[in-house]
Amino acid sequence: MKFTKALIFCFFATLFSVYGQAQDVSINGKVIDENGLPIPGASILIKGTSNSTATDFDGNYQIKASSSGTLVFSYLGYTSIQEAINGRKNITVKLKPATQSLEEVVVVGYGTQKITKVSGAISTVKAADIEKQKPLRVEEALQGRASGVSVIQNGSPGSKPTVLIRGIPSFSGTSPTVIIDGVPQTLDDLSAINSADIESLNVLKDASATAIYGIKGGNGVIVVTTKSGKRDQKVEITFNTYGGQQEVIKKIGVLNATEYGAIINESSAASGGPVIFPDLSTLGYGTNWQDEVFKTAGISSHNLTARGGGEKMSYFLSAGYLTQDGIVGGGDKSNFNRINLTSNLNFELSSKLKLVLNTSYVNIKNQGIAENSFNSVLGSALNFDPTVSVYNTIPNTIGTYGFSNLLKSEIFNPLTKLANTYNESNGNKLYGKIELQYDLFKNMKLTSRFGYTKYDQVGKSFTPLVFYGPLNTENTLNADGTTVTGKHNSVNEFSNSNFDFTQENFANYNFNINDSHNFDIVAGVSFSRSSGYGFNASREDVRDNSWAWADISAATGVNTAGTYTASTFVDGVYTPSTFVPGNTIGQIGSSYQNLTRKNASYFGRINYDYNDKYLASFSARRDGSIAFGTKNKFANFYAGSMGWVVSKEEFFNSDFISLLKIRGSYGTTGNENVSPQYVSISTGGPSYNQTANSNGYTFGGTFTPGATVNSFANDVLRWEKQTQFNVGFDLSVLNNLSLTADYFDKKVDGLLFIDAPPLMAGTSEPVASNIGTTQSKGVDMMLSYSNSLAKIFKFNSSLTFTTSTNLVTATNNDGTALINGGFYFNGLSQYPTRFEKGFSPGYFYGFQTAGLFQSFDEIAASPTQTGAQPGDIKYVDVNGDGKITDLDKTKIGDPFPKFTMGWNIGAEYKNFDLSVFTYASVGNDVYRAYERNAQYSNKFRNILDRWTGQGTTNDANNPRVTFSDTNSNARVSDRYVEDGSFVKIKNVVLGYTIPSLWYQEKVFSKVRIYAQVKNLVTLTKYTGFDPEVPGGILDTGVDRGNYPQARTILAGLDLKF
Amino acid sequence: MKNIKYIVGLIVLLSIFTGCEKWVDFDPHEEYAVTEADYLRSESDYQSMAVSCYSPLQWLNQLVVLGDIASDNAVAGGENASDVAVLQQVDDYTTTTNNGLLEDLWKVSYEGINRVNYLTQYKDLNIAGEAVDFAGKEELYGEIKFLRAYYYFNLVRMFGDVPLFVDRKLGLSDFGTIQRSPKADVYAQIETDLMDAINALPSGNPKNGRVTKYAAQALLGKVYLYQEKFTDAASMLDNVVNGPFTLVDDFDSIFLLSGENGSESVFEVQYSNGFPYYNWGGTTRGQGNHAVQQCGVRGLSGTSAMPFASGWSTNLPAQDLAAAYADGDQRKEGTCFDVEAYKIANPDLEVKYDVAPYKNTGLYNKKYLPRKGQTSGQVELNYDNNQRIIRYSDVLLMAAEAYVRSSAPNVAKAQEYLNRVRDRAFGDDLHRVTVSKEVIWDERRLELAMEGDRFFDLVRTNQAATKITGFIVGKNEVFPIPQREIDISGITQNPNW
Repeated sequence: MKFTKALIFCFFATLFSVYGQAQDVSINGKVIDENGLPIPGASILIKGTSNSTATDFDGNYQIKASSSGTLVFSYLGYTSIQEAINGRKNITVKLKPATQSLEEVVVVGYGTQKITKVSGAISTVKAADIEKQKPLRVEEALQGRASGVSVIQNGSPGSKPTVLIRGIPSFSGTSPTVIIDGVPQTLDDLSAINSADIESLNVLKDASATAIYGIKGGNGVIVVTTKSGKRDQKVEITFNTYGGQQEVIKKIGVLNATEYGAIINESSAASGGPVIFPDLSTLGYGTNWQDEVFKTAGISSHNLTARGGGEKMSYFLSAGYLTQDGIVGGGDKSNFNRINLTSNLNFELSSKLKLVLNTSYVNIKNQGIAENSFNSVLGSALNFDPTVSVYNTIPNTIGTYGFSNLLKSEIFNPLTKLANTYNESNGNKLYGKIELQYDLFKNMKLTSRFGYTKYDQVGKSFTPLVFYGPLNTENTLNADGTTVTGKHNSVNEFSNSNFDFTQENFANYNFNINDSHNFDIVAGVSFSRSSGYGFNASREDVRDNSWAWADISAATGVNTAGTYTASTFVDGVYTPSTFVPGNTIGQIGSSYQNLTRKNASYFGRINYDYNDKYLASFSARRDGSIAFGTKNKFANFYAGSMGWVVSKEEFFNSDFISLLKIRGSYGTTGNENVSPQYVSISTGGPSYNQTANSNGYTFGGTFTPGATVNSFANDVLRWEKQTQFNVGFDLSVLNNLSLTADYFDKKVDGLLFIDAPPLMAGTSEPVASNIGTTQSKGVDMMLSYSNSLAKIFKFNSSLTFTTSTNLVTATNNDGTALINGGFYFNGLSQYPTRFEKGFSPGYFYGFQTAGLFQSFDEIAASPTQTGAQPGDIKYVDVNGDGKITDLDKTKIGDPFPKFTMGWNIGAEYKNFDLSVFTYASVGNDVYRAYERNAQYSNKFRNILDRWTGQGTTNDANNPRVTFSDTNSNARVSDRYVEDGSFVKIKNVVLGYTIPSLWYQEKVFSKVRIYAQVKNLVTLTKYTGFDPEVPGGILDTGVDRGNYPQARTILAGLDLKF
Repeated sequence: MKNIKYIVGLIVLLSIFTGCEKWVDFDPHEEYAVTEADYLRSESDYQSMAVSCYSPLQWLNQLVVLGDIASDNAVAGGENASDVAVLQQVDDYTTTTNNGLLEDLWKVSYEGINRVNYLTQYKDLNIAGEAVDFAGKEELYGEIKFLRAYYYFNLVRMFGDVPLFVDRKLGLSDFGTIQRSPKADVYAQIETDLMDAINALPSGNPKNGRVTKYAAQALLGKVYLYQEKFTDAASMLDNVVNGPFTLVDDFDSIFLLSGENGSESVFEVQYSNGFPYYNWGGTTRGQGNHAVQQCGVRGLSGTSAMPFASGWSTNLPAQDLAAAYADGDQRKEGTCFDVEAYKIANPDLEVKYDVAPYKNTGLYNKKYLPRKGQTSGQVELNYDNNQRIIRYSDVLLMAAEAYVRSSAPNVAKAQEYLNRVRDRAFGDDLHRVTVSKEVIWDERRLELAMEGDRFFDLVRTNQAATKITGFIVGKNEVFPIPQREIDISGITQNPNW
């Protein structure tokens, strides 16, 4: 108490001393940058007061102040300067840009930290970089710019990429936690944030940085800080707009009609079949369906922001609109439209009490097409019959587009597929926080924060009646336009609603002892809850078979009861029962409850440094989760780090090295991605879950619902615990070259994994257990150079390097618990990926090939391979038992890169600015899963080099063609694995800032125009569309005809008022 | 002053901490989830759970396919050699220990057993310790005991010695503790369950798919036959022979929708197409019969009067089967559908079809040939057709065999039963043959072809080695125990696999 009183006394004493001498004079001056150019809008504050002003367009200012006072000059992005007035009447100052400056802070959990005092591993991407790149999603800005972060992007408008921070520690969930202005969110929420609102992105990587987030920290944390106004800041308005076009970069080589006909004939002949195309000369080139489905698609974005502040409040306001059409099918069927409104307000309710009110509203509307399978729009374009004409030429048949008489099901004309795709969804999200900050006494601040996300979405889809062709077996319309008996069109509508909140109370206190021992302490509690529900309904018989009437309310489908007549047995005469089935799906609906998740946590951290030279940090968190067994609700997480700023030592006297810091950390974090434990009873009918543990039975022709036990409960289920060790250093040379490097080693113990229940336990949902361990280790590095102090030609460049190796070190005792994934269909259901003990997560699992059998002699001399003929693929007998069986399947590839690199170059010359960003991924394999491989599906150009006789080729990619694939050449093997390494020039921007003499300077303070190209160049050996194939851990790298990223050409305008 | 502050602080802190503990308690009812503790509180709970004991019957439709493809009756067909690879292996006698079809049949049978076990475990008292009594409870338990016997019977005839447990649904602590029991013990349990069922079930014949006393007697007779207890079999089967069943005159019509649960039906697995099931991760787990799709002709089309729908051609009758029928036997037409002959005979229907690409026999399984309008939703998975498991003619033939092979044979009775089956097949009494066990075995093939029993009959009667190419004595009498079960549960494999 005494201490506080003394502080208050000192504070007032200072105030009085200032006012006591108050004798105001008028002071003029100018604020210029290091090149001597004026800085408009710079803030000039009289120290110790709230009196301030701002510079005008020419950088001039005028202020009345005491002649013995001090002025504080500041401007965003520049280092503030204090000038004692000392009776002067004219004071001109030169502000220097805040480079990797000593003042720079990073946002860490529940506070900020001066970058010089950080002893953990953190990557940062600044607003300036984000503004240059104009990312559609925030993750795009992290790719290659934040070391330690792997991002695999997707081309579908608005879709979520794969994001991994420091490898793949877990099976059950690898997405990092996202914190927006202190409020926990998920990776899904990043599609909703407008990149123009972002001040900075920090990625917390090591345990010392993430342990304060406890169980949510295990996969790393992305901290997003949005912009806010500053006190006494003159209003600053910006308007950014761009528009452009997107186009496909590459098409896949498929056969033309003549080549197709020849291959089909050869395949048929090889299996003893007839000639399918008697006259190849009539076929010509036919149709390349990729040309038909890829469209040039528009993209545009407009953002208006305003920020500023007065004495008691400051604000940042922004409005944005983004619209992006898809290159597959064009904007009519595939698009993403987003409206953002953001209001970040700070109020000083009293000198001690501050209110922060951040509110964002987002509306997302989008339409999508079938993706990522052989019968999606793109998959059909690759696999559909090239002899078919684009438009229907068969008389007396309905249907706009051509039909195949060979492909009678599964794969349709992609244009027919596209034309009959109807869906839309509309989501509204409101998120933000209400935060009160109270200065209890000097350096002691209490914060109470309520963060929330409210998300509501509605959507519908319509499945019309379609005629696919005269011989098609999946028609719902006949050739004459009448409905196939028993078929109906249908409309499905859904609605879901979620509300999540986090309530946190914490205190920050910092103090020092003897001016050398600096302490920064935070402690607090956090409660969170998320829950929601959804409904969906569908109804048949939409009027006119038209999207225009596609609504539950307008559809007329009804359910009808079947009629059952029981059998009779009268006087030895038996009459059997009869049943005429009714329609039970004319009108159906269901609702579901989203999982309720709750957490309760308390946490604390002490940061310590001695003269900025010796750094230490210790954090602890105790977390409780609703998900775990009754015996293991809570767990503790600790982490510590130490740093030594060698360059601050007196013995270290180097003009060459300006900073050398050595850091190390060790600690634990967790993961709670598992469902709560209880023995559930499922009721009703068929199950669509993984084990298809269906219910019910048919009695007397009528379905009767049933009930059964559907799960096991694991009362001892606990956290997945990650232990991470990190060591690294920061080095700056001559103030303009810096290197940061970290090595990490992360072990997961008690991996949340689905145990392998015995088959004799039946089909209840398998039980989650803490049965595995994994290990990830790697190196993150960032090298950057900047000559920002140069006058005319400014240049900066940075290079990031990210690598991690991942290994599943154990699952259950005998390694039988494993997960197969990566499902695709090529005539058989295939599962090419695995999560298994002894291998990297999600590795490709299948047969190794050893060329082709050239002769029967060779087959006879080789391990037994049932059905093999000359020209078929020879598989490797991995286990050496003399026969090729499933036991010979082995690792045939890895979808995750050995390392990734990002290289950014920025240059400014006079009014021109140029930025080039290149990204490379090395060692990632891609599994080619888009080949349907049906008899009459189209084939890919490599088939032209197929085996046609002894000695023609020994390439396992090119076996003989035949309709009866007795050898199963289509099985999962390294034949389908390709090196997906790539180098992409992801982003090139050339900008020009128009000199102020060209425009009315009273209106604009800055006008910049630019041209930008995204995905300018891709260098890769991969033969598919795009070697970046995102997905879950078991789907990454499995290319089922993934939506490729577009080459985007933009022109834009940035205005500042 | 100071102390008060600390005390207040401490209270606040404590209340926060205790709040924490409660905050993360999980109540499944918040998500409207029904848990084990909420269930088996009423008659309808017991009834619903009993209904789901029937569900795995539907999931066993691939056993019917297996039973003929593994024999000399049918081939796996398909688009090519890797199409339906699990069936090709069975057909070609190259089955591996990780054959997914066998794994599924094993798992599905045990799911049925676990479901029944759960109900028998809580028969007298539910989990809360309450007794829920209602009229018809004993009969209900009679039904489910039949089902357990049926699941174990299929396991034992497919795999030989199998894990046997009847007292509970397996829980986490049971995993890895249960070994295989000798075949004889499994049969003893099957007999016990069936006797319980026979005693509990009423003698009425509801014919709506519910298990009847006759079904239990017929199955018990079959179980005795498999164990070569011919005297027991004969007397047990006579209960059914003398029951309210008659042979249908028109053989073909037995397998039409209108013939379902007909006068010849003793036990039939019921399917319906009201649920447009579409889960390809569990093709057999809807209400529809996936096995029907497998019988269909590829790319079949024609005028709207043409009644058949197309399918996959992955279960094709062998020419050898068609050749076994004598002239005038209406079962040939009713079993082996010659699509080309049909096309030629019906030019008005404008029949078009694709020749089966692999292992073509030109023949299709007429008993379950897909027909238009019998499926819904994901058409491949939702065929309405019931699977005939035990027909009256099967009972007659089993009884005849039992009488012939009994230690005190009754040849006259056997001859009479055989005659009834032959007479129906030919529509006259001019095609009778003299009864012997071999004659009955051949007749079983003709009568029951493509209904899933042929392989098991051949093994049971020691004819497999001579009739099936690739069959190895001492190995192929049973299928391999699924490798995954061996890996996880540490049980033994069958000999020579």
